[in-house]
Amino acid sequence: MKFTIQRDVFVQNIQHVSKAISSRATLPILTGIKIVAFDDGITLTGSDSDISIEAFIPAEDGDNSNVDIERPGAVVLQAKYFADIIKKLPESTVELTLNDQMVTKIRSGSSEFNLNGQDPDDFPRLPEVEEGSQFTLKTDLLKALIKQTAFAVSTAETRPILTGIHWGMESEKLMCTATDSHRLAMREAGVEESGDVEFTNVVIPGKSLTELSKILDDSEETVDVTVTDNQVLFKATNLLFLSRLLDGNYPATKNMIPSQSKTNIQVPAKQLMAAIERALLLSDGKNNVVNLKSLNENELEITSVTPEVGKVTESVSCDAFEGEELRISFNGKNIIDALRVIESQDVAIQFTGAMSPFIMRPADRDYMLHLFSPVRTY
Amino acid sequence: MNPIKKLDASLSNKIAAGEVVERPASVVKELVENAVDAGSTKIRIAVAEGGLQSISVLDNGAGIRLDELEAAFSRHATSKIQSDRDLFRIRTLGFRGEALPSIASVSRLTLMTSPDGAEGGKIVLHGGEIQSRTQSPPKQGTEVIVEDLFYNTPARLKYLKTIHTELGHISDSINRFAMAHPEIAFELTHDERTLLKTSGSSKLLQVLQQIYGLQAARGMRRFEAETDDFTIEGYAGSPVDARASRSYLTFVFNGRYVRSIPLAKAVQAGYDQLLPIGKYPICCVHVTLHPLLMDVNVHPSKLEIRLSKEKELQHLLEETIRGVWNKEAVIPSMQEPFSREEPTVSGDNASSSREKAPSGKSEATSFDFFYPSEETSRNGTTEAVRETIRSQPETQDIPERRAAAASPDRSSAEVQEEPAVSRVPELHVIGQFHGTYILAQNDDGFFMIDQHAAQERINFEYFLDKLSSPSREMQDLLVPITMELSGSDAAFIDENKEVLAEAGLVLEHFGGPVYRIRSCPVWFPEGMEKETAEELMMELKQHQDLRLERVREDAAAMMACKAAVKANHHLQNRDMEGLIREWSSCRQPFTCPHGRPVMIHYSVYEIEKMFKRVMN
Ligand SMILES: Nc1ncnc2c1ncn2[C@@H]1O[C@H](COP(=O)(O)OP(=O)(O)OP(=O)(O)O)[C@@H](O)[C@H]1O
Ligand SMILES: [Mg+2]
Repeated sequence: MKFTIQRDVFVQNIQHVSKAISSRATLPILTGIKIVAFDDGITLTGSDSDISIEAFIPAEDGDNSNVDIERPGAVVLQAKYFADIIKKLPESTVELTLNDQMVTKIRSGSSEFNLNGQDPDDFPRLPEVEEGSQFTLKTDLLKALIKQTAFAVSTAETRPILTGIHWGMESEKLMCTATDSHRLAMREAGVEESGDVEFTNVVIPGKSLTELSKILDDSEETVDVTVTDNQVLFKATNLLFLSRLLDGNYPATKNMIPSQSKTNIQVPAKQLMAAIERALLLSDGKNNVVNLKSLNENELEITSVTPEVGKVTESVSCDAFEGEELRISFNGKNIIDALRVIESQDVAIQFTGAMSPFIMRPADRDYMLHLFSPVRTY
Repeated sequence: MNPIKKLDASLSNKIAAGEVVERPASVVKELVENAVDAGSTKIRIAVAEGGLQSISVLDNGAGIRLDELEAAFSRHATSKIQSDRDLFRIRTLGFRGEALPSIASVSRLTLMTSPDGAEGGKIVLHGGEIQSRTQSPPKQGTEVIVEDLFYNTPARLKYLKTIHTELGHISDSINRFAMAHPEIAFELTHDERTLLKTSGSSKLLQVLQQIYGLQAARGMRRFEAETDDFTIEGYAGSPVDARASRSYLTFVFNGRYVRSIPLAKAVQAGYDQLLPIGKYPICCVHVTLHPLLMDVNVHPSKLEIRLSKEKELQHLLEETIRGVWNKEAVIPSMQEPFSREEPTVSGDNASSSREKAPSGKSEATSFDFFYPSEETSRNGTTEAVRETIRSQPETQDIPERRAAAASPDRSSAEVQEEPAVSRVPELHVIGQFHGTYILAQNDDGFFMIDQHAAQERINFEYFLDKLSSPSREMQDLLVPITMELSGSDAAFIDENKEVLAEAGLVLEHFGGPVYRIRSCPVWFPEGMEKETAEELMMELKQHQDLRLERVREDAAAMMACKAAVKANHHLQNRDMEGLIREWSSCRQPFTCPHGRPVMIHYSVYEIEKMFKRVMN
């Protein structure tokens, strides 16, 4: 194997596949990056137990020449050293040469490294994605779906199923749901090219989707998604992203959402967020409990008390108020998380008394919904 | 059916003996109590064959009036209680008038006494029947010799354990007396071998050293405190010397050794997490209180008492002990040279007014077996010990009741106000060992720090702060957490639903063994709701009441452990320095939340000794 490659392209792709490499890998070879040089380009592969990423760097990309391949071949190099080396090399091109002893010579300008490699045949093959449900999503929509749900997954490993995002497809509508059982986020999207695919209980690790979102190139128009029994494959032009699915049954979330409400309000998202953020200043990251009270038809009062520290009172004017008076407590941080991903000016909140979960959604859209369970005093 | 008949004296004594005299150690205990009550300053106990062959207790106390000698052996004859009222203000160890007749009924007993050193009497009983009544040499005090114990109750004899075990009980009993009465010189011999010998110098620490050894005594810290009702004082052993049994705790109430689980727990609680799980400190606590506050008459062996205001005492003890260790650096180290200075705790001097033992007669010198003697005690360190112990300024005469300097309230306030001065010495990182221990040095020597334990301690205090929310708020769960409970646990939960709900934990039965957590307190760490709920239930089960602080501590410890860097993790020097800096500012840096030590110290001296650069 011997090739010369544009360093910046190389660095970027190495960074992408590195997302799938964990230093605590169970198989030692998985701490490495597999590099394969073909006649028309090279692939980089990284893999851990959850995700596998394969990036393809085409030899020619439009008018640009990325790689000049002299001899095809393959090797696995320790990601830790390799990534740092390539990043720090002096010139804009790098030359890689593999000898018979699996030693890879890396040259750039005046600098030369010889890295011991491992046999690429020992690197596990990416699982074959057999036929599954296939559909296409716009890249920006996919990113939005991830952004608007992934924040709500549970970080606790005790209930693994809640660390994932539930995907379900029915009548050309993809519904994404995440909950850590204190709050729930739902986002719906119409999928035109769904090819009549329907599925449910597809639970993708939240972490996988977050990583995917980070490496997906905005210039890319669409992403093909293939869902099988135990994995999901995202396919972009020069990228394969494979994630395992979580085992188990996702809780039934539909019936958690109250169908009636007793108090409906509408408030400007920015003001509400700013008021809650200030109210949280005193809680020192502890419980984040915030109290909300309706003062009159136009005004809400937000308070927070931390006995050792003090008390804060905020007032927020609301655009609309309808129904019963209200007094409720909740985790303010969860509300802020949701407000951050709601892109509308105003939010509508529907309460069903102080003891029941309440709903928040953008005032002008109904494809997104956030549900919060209240905090109560005992 | 036989006619109802009053039991004859010898039979009823035998029945009483069943309660009072369980084993040789109970005989020893009763006889020594009598000797203590008689105001003796020297008591010698000699036993043969674990006490089964013979037990003799010799004292130099007040003796028994010769005309009352027979009366002492009739049941309920006592000189110690005159009226009903006295029963509620017992200051003596004996009060029932049962011991002598009970012992006499199951042995061959000889008692010689002289109340004034001028004339002496001797009485011999077999199985409770008087055999003879003669004169004896006029030697101040009393000697009781019990032979052939249980010779006439073969059943009882059958249940006795090995000589070794029986001797263990006797020795334990005498140890407790010695700790309860450091002003009395005790000597215990078994088959001519000396097992314990105390000086009667009133120095409790000296007694503790005789019993537990030099190393343990050196680690002990004196404490004292008082409230309106209680005065407590004593010594608390270093956590480093903790033992695997509660029996190293000694509580002395007005001169009486008693067992008390509530107080044992208070002591343990006072050590916070300095103790490894299942370990107990060596600790001796003297409590002085008005006799009205304690009822001794609850157990035939007089080993248990019922206390009024027990909670108050528990609190006082816990806070006092906490105060002791909150100020200390508890770093296990190799044995240090004697010359090391002991920290001065208070400005009082040890040799001040030494009060005499509350004895009627003083210093009657009928025996010569007492300290000082050149002969070394069993661990052969008497001389060295005397040296060290004398050099400890906090050594105090125990029977002396001084106005205690620190009230518990003040001591706990002090702890909080104390400026954040680190108790960890300044350290310089040298390197890392096996990816697990940080090696460091300073002028005092060489230190090893368990990086995982240090990290755990940091995390623990962080999480505990996070969890310590006084608010009564609970979070409803959108997705309830299911847990399976065993039959007995389920029944327990059903019964205690309300109590748990009061603590913010709402459970519902879901069918079969499955229960669901619907709501939990906001302080429950996310992702650990189930474990924490289980902790809470365990807590309720074990203690009948819910002390949430304890549950919080357990939860914080679990989180700390999960979040801590594992051993075998290579750290850069900079990381190690950062870790040590952070760890140094912990409130209780010396142990991990499970009580294991974080740091071990090797003094320069010790290292030089190992390399034979110094000889000692
Ligand atoms: N060593 C002793 N020195 C002086 N008096 C003694 C001694 N031993 C016993 N007596 C006297 O004999 C009495 C009876 O002793 P005994 O031990 O049977 O009863 P007690 O000590 O009064 O009560 P208890 O049964 O609770 O021990 C005591 O009250 C005491 O007056
Ligand atoms: Mg007695």
